[in-house]
Amino acid sequence: MSAEHVRLDEARTRKVPWRKWGPYLSERQWGTVREDYSEGGDAWNYFTHDQARSRAYRWGEDGIAGISDDHQRLCFALALWNGKDAILKERLFGLTNSESNHGEDVKEYYFYLDSTPTHSYMKYLYKYPQGEFPYADLVETSRGRSRTEFEYELIDTGAFAENRYWDVFVEYAKDSPEDMLIEITAYNRGPETAELHILPTLWFRNLWSWGEGQNRPSLTEVKAHGASVVRASEASLGPRYFACDGAAPLLFTENETNTSRIFGVPNRTPYVKDSINNYVIHGKVDAINPEKTGTKVAAHYRLSARPGEAATVRLRLCEAPPEVSVDLNGSTSAFFGAKFDEILNARRAEADEFYGEIIPKSLDADSANVMRQALAGMMWSKQFYLYDVDKWLEERGSDPFKSSRKSAPRNEHWHHMYNGDVISMPDKWEYPWYAAWDLAFHALALTLVDPDFGKSQLKLMLRERYMHPNGQIPAYEWNFGDVNPPVHAWATIFTYRLEKGMGGEGDREWLKSSFQKLLLNFTWWVNRKDRTGRNVFEGGFLGLDNIGVFDRNAPLPTGGYLEQADGTAWMALFCQNMLEIATELALEDPGYAEMALKFCEHFLWIASSMAHLGEDTGMWDEEDGFFYDVLRHPDGRAERLKVRSMVGLLPLCAATTLEGEMIARYPEFGDRLMWFLDSRPEIASTIHDPRKRGVNGRQLASILDETKLRRVLEKMLDENEFLSPYGLRSLSRYHADHPYVIHVGGQEYRVSYLPAESDTSMFGGNSNWRGPIWVPVNALIIRSLVHYYLYYGDDFQVECPTGSGQMMNLFEVAREISRRLNGLFLRGKDGDRPVFGGTHTFQDDPHWRDYLLFYEYFHGDNGAGLGASHQTGWTGLVARLLHLFATLTPETAQEEGKKAYRNPANPAQATAAQTVC
Amino acid sequence: MLTLSKQAVNLYVDRNAQRWIVRDAYGNFWLLPLGENPWDRREPFLPTEETDLEPIPGHYKSIVGLPFDMT
Repeated sequence: MSAEHVRLDEARTRKVPWRKWGPYLSERQWGTVREDYSEGGDAWNYFTHDQARSRAYRWGEDGIAGISDDHQRLCFALALWNGKDAILKERLFGLTNSESNHGEDVKEYYFYLDSTPTHSYMKYLYKYPQGEFPYADLVETSRGRSRTEFEYELIDTGAFAENRYWDVFVEYAKDSPEDMLIEITAYNRGPETAELHILPTLWFRNLWSWGEGQNRPSLTEVKAHGASVVRASEASLGPRYFACDGAAPLLFTENETNTSRIFGVPNRTPYVKDSINNYVIHGKVDAINPEKTGTKVAAHYRLSARPGEAATVRLRLCEAPPEVSVDLNGSTSAFFGAKFDEILNARRAEADEFYGEIIPKSLDADSANVMRQALAGMMWSKQFYLYDVDKWLEERGSDPFKSSRKSAPRNEHWHHMYNGDVISMPDKWEYPWYAAWDLAFHALALTLVDPDFGKSQLKLMLRERYMHPNGQIPAYEWNFGDVNPPVHAWATIFTYRLEKGMGGEGDREWLKSSFQKLLLNFTWWVNRKDRTGRNVFEGGFLGLDNIGVFDRNAPLPTGGYLEQADGTAWMALFCQNMLEIATELALEDPGYAEMALKFCEHFLWIASSMAHLGEDTGMWDEEDGFFYDVLRHPDGRAERLKVRSMVGLLPLCAATTLEGEMIARYPEFGDRLMWFLDSRPEIASTIHDPRKRGVNGRQLASILDETKLRRVLEKMLDENEFLSPYGLRSLSRYHADHPYVIHVGGQEYRVSYLPAESDTSMFGGNSNWRGPIWVPVNALIIRSLVHYYLYYGDDFQVECPTGSGQMMNLFEVAREISRRLNGLFLRGKDGDRPVFGGTHTFQDDPHWRDYLLFYEYFHGDNGAGLGASHQTGWTGLVARLLHLFATLTPETAQEEGKKAYRNPANPAQATAAQTVC
Repeated sequence: MLTLSKQAVNLYVDRNAQRWIVRDAYGNFWLLPLGENPWDRREPFLPTEETDLEPIPGHYKSIVGLPFDMT
């Protein structure tokens, strides 16, 4: 058993707090909804990057390569100064939504290189230019660019010319749950000797200023030999010691707003949040507290390095006071001596050992590197997320229970919410807030290395502090009431089976509890999003931003309403997942058998509704062999909106094989289902008939029968339509030459194939579903293809790619799509990684080319990364895909069914089978 | 029965005067002087048409020196 597996086991069984300290600091707290108290809800402009160095945050903290405890009382992060910039580099810089031509975008280069799930070892790289950071150039040039132009990136500014930059590596290693070793190594990549100010910074999140009865914590200098030591005192956390190797001066101030700079009102104290900045940059000696006490402190190292050489800083954050660590010579070298090296090297080796067990041996070195960095990104993207909506509303004068209240710009109906947990973020700079459907996908990747954390994340969204009393799962902070695709049940059954597969026993109580809450959520969907009660669903934008011809989250310009193929397909999948959960629970508790039958029948109703029995216009278009949204006009007319998009592929995803355990155990269940199907022959006639047995006697719940499946696959696997060299596009390439156009009220609405960035401002204009490749929906399709394969077997062959003459079974098709997706990140035959597009530095430079970025989505033709650059969140699914097809063969899949795919074995638990999902 | 609803206490900054301004529950405006216990030493303030008051979020009560039990 690896040492990291022991730690995970200790955390699970003995509650050893191995996860207490981790990378829970956000990379951007400014510009968030939480910090926004503006009248109109203009979060980006209310609390800006420029203010962030001077203004205390209300709901969280941010920093570079930072950590905090799991309640974010005490924070640590890196600050740097190259001697040229006008401000300290304390946080990552980026453009706001309105400053950039494609929405908000971080303009820095940083990489999550490694992390174990307990954060016993972590490694991060930040690339800091030696010349003045081009803040103004980035803003001004980007503002001048149109939506049809590329974004202006930091590397385009020349900031890295002649390699005049620092590679700053930050490594963390835990000697115990409460003892964190930190090593910062800065390499001078430039041609000349250069100086760098390194300011490791420790501070308390400001709780004391907001009137919640919190005592002010303190940081004070402690006498020590050979090191600068700070004692951190906070009542609930207990004392901590921050030791800095050498005799670096300690700069103390308070984590409080500089009211003079922010509001124009004189400060009550000269020691404010930006005092360290003002001391280092402007030489303001009186900005620093000479009493050596405060709530924010930085050790000030001034280091220089010759070309190619490195400067190193060592630190330690721990429970032990200096006297405990004094060695025989009376110095504190015990903090930093040979023991420090020993611990750091041990944690590095243990991380290698851990991933040696996780990453399949059959993967080549490049694939293994991609998989490890994808998982590192998943680990680093954890963030302490605090948002007390009731308090937030009250503080902005919108207390929901006061008659004199002002209207709040958002989230008024979510005042039940109190969030204060470590949550997996989509991207800690661009999306430093949770998104419900993203999180469900995150769980699928997280469970590769940390099933317990993945399970806790899913449970969190269903808790009373998150889920609305009406059963809706919160979408995201910009509008908790938005509608995300209902993938939570899928992630739940997946995670349950993972645990059951690893340990032989699943957590049935957790599954039961989740099922009850998911029932509430299911009922919310049925009651709120099925307008006519005919099992046809709307849902607004459903996470796919600009995919429709109209903004699907706004009233239609035509009047009337949309019946959404994707919304209905998502609900069909939701039913299948609930059926699977109920079946699992019914195996030991007959009370759930009724629910299994209920969801089986509900699935059949929804699936058949897609063909819209008894009406002239259903979602299926027989001529095109594809599913479309249906526009219902106010006068009763209906028309299909013939946009060939991911919306029409999602019905394919509602496919799940059934092994028949339920019917075997409860024959009356089968009788009742047979009666239902026999008495409703029109239902089974329009979908796959679930009575038909497939390979090994399996049954299949699917919207698509074999004929429809073949027709949809023909388009999906056509390289002139959906199948790109790097996965499935979100919109068919057919629309490059054949844009979909509709005229309403004298205005033209058009959908064209856009392989790169969005050309509309719909949903902020910072993501695009009209052509690019999105990993999560690709993963869903891969899942369904494996299920179809389990049912149809080897005899079901399709041409892949369409027109190639090459025939494949559906397992091979799934593997082919996965291979193409993985190819986004892997070096091709030309040595290039498609994700980096035409950026030569990333492709060729040895100090760049093997550091991966997991973007939000990818160019539909050449695979270049687009959108958020650190969305390891759901793009981290590539780790799961690499693992899946490195360990699963079609033969074992056929033989063992859904139990064939095994997660990496945890030696601490019995190894057993785990299902496909 | 006639009921008079009290207004919420609102905080503002007057950047020209470089002072915090408070509107109490009865609609009265107060200027807070610098120094300790500013609420105890508050001065009446009459906004004019030229006064530009910028709203400050409620959690700044402590920072501007208001008692927490004041709502």
